[in-house]
Amino acid sequence: MNPRKLLRIAKWEVTKNAGGVDKRTVAIMAVSVVAMLLVAGLAASGGATGLDSGLYRVGVDESSPYYAPASEDPAFIVRDPSAEAVERGDQELYFDGTTLRNRLGSQKEKAALSEFRSSVDGYNSEQMREDDNATAAFPVSVTLVYLEQDGVTETVATGGNADGSSGDGGTDGSSGAGGTDGSSGDAGTSDGSTGSGTGSSSDGDSGSLAGLGAGLTGGSTSGTPADIQPPFPFESLVLAFLFIVPMNFVIQAYGSTMLSERLNRRGELLLVSPVSRFDIVAGKTLPYFLGAMGVITAITLGLRFSGLTAGGGPIAILAVLPLALLFLAATFCGAMFARSFKELTFVTVTVTVSLTTYAFVPAIFTDVNPIALISPLTIVVRDLQAQAVTTGDFAFATIPATLSALVLFTLGSGLYREEDMFTQRAIPLKLLDSLSTQIRSKWSALKLPVMLLPAVVVAELAGIALLFALPVEISIPLILVVVVLVEEVAKSLHVYAGFSSGRFDGSLRTTLVVGALSGTGFFLAEKLILVFQVLNPGLSEIPTSQAGLVGSLVPEGVPLALAAVVLLLLPLALHTVTATVSALGARRGRRTYLVALVAAMAIHFAYNFTVVSTVVQ
Amino acid sequence: MIEARDLRKEYGDFVAVEGSTFSVEQGEVFGVIGPNGAGKTTTLKMLSGLLEPTGGEVSVAGYDVTDTAMRQQLGFLPEESPLYEEMTPTSYLRFFADLYDVPESVATERMHETLDELDLEHRDRKLGDMSKGMKRKVAIARSLINDPDVLVYDEPASGLDPLTTNYVIEFTEQLAEEGKTIVFSAHNLYHVETICDRVAIMNEGQIVARGDLEELQAEYGEREYYVYTTVEVPDAVQENGHWRRVVDSMDGVDAIREAAAEAGGDVIDIRTEESSLEEVFLNVAESETPGTRYVEEA
Repeated sequence: MNPRKLLRIAKWEVTKNAGGVDKRTVAIMAVSVVAMLLVAGLAASGGATGLDSGLYRVGVDESSPYYAPASEDPAFIVRDPSAEAVERGDQELYFDGTTLRNRLGSQKEKAALSEFRSSVDGYNSEQMREDDNATAAFPVSVTLVYLEQDGVTETVATGGNADGSSGDGGTDGSSGAGGTDGSSGDAGTSDGSTGSGTGSSSDGDSGSLAGLGAGLTGGSTSGTPADIQPPFPFESLVLAFLFIVPMNFVIQAYGSTMLSERLNRRGELLLVSPVSRFDIVAGKTLPYFLGAMGVITAITLGLRFSGLTAGGGPIAILAVLPLALLFLAATFCGAMFARSFKELTFVTVTVTVSLTTYAFVPAIFTDVNPIALISPLTIVVRDLQAQAVTTGDFAFATIPATLSALVLFTLGSGLYREEDMFTQRAIPLKLLDSLSTQIRSKWSALKLPVMLLPAVVVAELAGIALLFALPVEISIPLILVVVVLVEEVAKSLHVYAGFSSGRFDGSLRTTLVVGALSGTGFFLAEKLILVFQVLNPGLSEIPTSQAGLVGSLVPEGVPLALAAVVLLLLPLALHTVTATVSALGARRGRRTYLVALVAAMAIHFAYNFTVVSTVVQ
Repeated sequence: MIEARDLRKEYGDFVAVEGSTFSVEQGEVFGVIGPNGAGKTTTLKMLSGLLEPTGGEVSVAGYDVTDTAMRQQLGFLPEESPLYEEMTPTSYLRFFADLYDVPESVATERMHETLDELDLEHRDRKLGDMSKGMKRKVAIARSLINDPDVLVYDEPASGLDPLTTNYVIEFTEQLAEEGKTIVFSAHNLYHVETICDRVAIMNEGQIVARGDLEELQAEYGEREYYVYTTVEVPDAVQENGHWRRVVDSMDGVDAIREAAAEAGGDVIDIRTEESSLEEVFLNVAESETPGTRYVEEA
């Protein structure tokens, strides 16, 4: 690696692309952004009038109790009551005191009455909230406790009249989780203002976003029973959304620049210059990575210092780092495999959808289920909400993404060469090239299965997720087939790539060595995951983790020696034997490789089936 | 300066280059010619380190071509050199000068010197707005920005108008005179004949003939003797008051001389005509056809 050249390429990447955008385009973009910000600011400040502003005309006298709600609701224009005006169609509603005097003929008049009722309800609720005697306004207090799915902790609570702990017998003063401010009880003093605010105090700790979410999802703390709605993780959704959107913009630009190097052989001259492939790829990636991280940092700090979130700092930023890398790596790898902009579009859409789903959906349920930890974005949301993040949580959420990003960058870099970049080479051949370029010696046969393990885990989990819904008599054998197929391909494809590219000589000795090394490498990687799972007790709560442990642990009461055989020697023997079988076929060509692969799968399936049958019995 | 031994390049089961062995001395201009698909570009790309040979060995300036340090000694000009069209010639050349560790002052001087020699104006215009000939000149300047000892030029005048072509060929000739080692490929054999010291003729992935022009002419070309006599000799035709007969050997010339003497006349002129490189190339292409180019599956 040459940092100076790497940075030079990064600088060039920025200036080159900046040179491709003319000043007029920049000016139009700047004006557009400013306009959007102005509109957003206006909307946020409440300066924007609603679409229904002044939509209905209501005739009501100042002495009528309805005058105040009608005049405070911008949807209504208050006029002097007049039957003639109604007949002319100049008024939708005509009140005499609180009695509606006109018949509702038109749809607009009916809609006006419906809107007016809502307006009066809202006005009444507001009046009651402002009442000094909150107990009288809201005589019934209900405490809602929402539990996580696994019953781990209480997460959301809304209280009613928190200040009534003494005023009305103190029925909920101690248990009102939402009534933090009023839990001390003011013994019936005029703390109505405090009491009215207490309902939202539990959310208020998390900043304004939570308050916004509560408002939009009906999480009000006082009102009618109809106002009580199940909680929706609005805050998590907004936060996750804020962090995922910039990624999608960055990868569009990144994928495009990577593919443009390949069109018309533009990147050929960089390949012939005294710069390593690593420096070129890293240099071209660096600006996009820094750009993504810069935006993320700005968002994090903006949320924190504007008071919109209670937390947010280095942990949130560090947690996004592997995600940014994963987005870029997947796009880079896809851009290396794609042979045209048409294929690149398919790749970027696939990357966007799948990685957004992976990162975004779990993060929405940060407060609901510990499975959310499979996404680094969950850590971000937790940190922004000022929740505790343990080292184990951080590692579990970020290490898989980081490793996957490294694997994808490595595989893609294998294709960053003349014969893969500038030809219409078939994708299966590119896959073999990406593997064979990682082979330096026979020991590479041991390294590659370890490197590919994140892909193996993802493929197996995807297979399990797809098949688990089937009846158990069908799903278990099918899952075993999927596991066997994925693992045997992972153990042998690089060996076949090594033989077909001539990096391994086809001698029997080499074949046996690389087969045994490949099997051993896979075994070591598999056990590494097991150790990681066992060392992190928190992971046992996570269903995916439990799924990964199935078949890797022995039942209780089994002697240690037997456990060692079952956990270590038998799997090692299995993986080395099957990998060697595949290697023996791979050295002779594609057809014999496929035959040998099927044979290896049969052996592996028989082993797994026996183990599963034994465990089940 | 360049040593290639038994070079081989396979693409799947297709053998693009097989058994290519040649060497190029310092200061020599070595031409590689052959029909389309003969393996010329693949060979040049293996020399420049762009393609990894499937078999054989190749070194440039004492370095293995897989060694990044070799690239410091090399200037490569591909057949098509698409540039970064958003950049200007100067920013483009400065960028590559940086990658080749050329000090800024040296790079500036060298860049302007080369562009002056190539007569390229509008150096701050974007490359995307330039003509093909102008872009080619920038590409040539880029290949010289590191002042390399070895130049590998693949069809340097491809697709250019005759005026620019002559300019580029003359410039390449000038580089050869300055002592650069040049490996040069071109379809226009007149250019090769003009500037190359030695030539390799490739066909279907193999070097089927190589040597300097005289050696190639001797082996694959034809030499014809136009013998003019004062009297009629067998098979002669009358031309401008004399008799002319064409033979392909000095023995034939001697036979005409004897026949003219017997008829009371004499040989008054002998003119020699040799095959051009183009004719040699056509003869080689017709006579030397290697076998299959596909690898048999085990």
